[in-house]
Amino acid sequence: MNATVNNCICLALLVVFAGCATAPRVYESELDRTPLTTKIEPQDIRRTVEKMAESLIADPGVLDATKGERPVLDIEPMKNRSQMIVDMQSITDSVRMRLIRSRLFRFVDRSTAGADIAIMDEQAQLGLTDPRKAIRPGQQTAAQMYLTGSLTDMVTRVGRVTDHYYKFTMILKDLRTGEIVWTDEQEIRKVANRPMF
Amino acid sequence: MKLLSVIFSIMLAGIFFSGCHTTAGTSVVMNHETGGSVIYEGNTRLHNSVAVTAVTYDKVPSGLNRVNIQLSSLIQRSQHLQYRIAWFNSEGMEIDADTRTYRPLVLQGLDTVTVTGVANNPAAVTSRIRIREWRAAR
Repeated sequence: MNATVNNCICLALLVVFAGCATAPRVYESELDRTPLTTKIEPQDIRRTVEKMAESLIADPGVLDATKGERPVLDIEPMKNRSQMIVDMQSITDSVRMRLIRSRLFRFVDRSTAGADIAIMDEQAQLGLTDPRKAIRPGQQTAAQMYLTGSLTDMVTRVGRVTDHYYKFTMILKDLRTGEIVWTDEQEIRKVANRPMF
Repeated sequence: MKLLSVIFSIMLAGIFFSGCHTTAGTSVVMNHETGGSVIYEGNTRLHNSVAVTAVTYDKVPSGLNRVNIQLSSLIQRSQHLQYRIAWFNSEGMEIDADTRTYRPLVLQGLDTVTVTGVANNPAAVTSRIRIREWRAAR
């Protein structure tokens, strides 16, 4: 009987200490993992982007505003009105990627306009390019609408419980009429219970 | 002494089985061309707690396929689930697999909810929803 007990103890110790390595264990995690904190995490961004892109694709107002043509959009980076540091440009970039890949929207990019001019100037002035093939300024497509939005948050702390609420709001505004053609929001609520010890 | 042995055995079993939750879930494959749907259930616990009660299809104004799936809770307590809707082309290949995410779904006791997915590409003709337990996503 003593031998059985000793074996059990040895086996239990072996199992308990098997993971006691000094080097950190690093592994590839899936993108949609469970939350680690109450902060905005990659899976929250991914869900927000998916929801916003789907909502925009499904909305009839956008096609009505462009009379059935593929609308040309631009992006105004979302505003971060929350207490967290979040790369808002990255979120709008991801929404743009999803919309372009749906083949229903066209996008222009103001942020690279300076580079466009520089390349056109070089083509016109350096003499390396065939002048008949050189792209001249003044031919680019104009944006009909632009996409923007904001992130807000609310934090409530009661004892050991932290309740964090986030709201992403996106709008699509028609430049010609000034109307908001589409809007949607994504709410996220995370609760953390701090352990007593 | 015998009691000590039993306690150790229970402890060992607890340690071994504490991480044993399956990542398999319930899947529904929906063919938007034929209008058929097939349900696959790979998790006994989910099979007993969630049922796919209706599947409908339509198209959004831009012509992309949309699917609505009605899920019903079969138990009285709340369930924390995740679901992912994937889209496939006519050759059965998933389109933009990296961009499809698992979305959280809290299903209240004996409640029914409808989840919706819109295709991300005009080539998408088949969709699949996969439902898993929240604990499966580590």
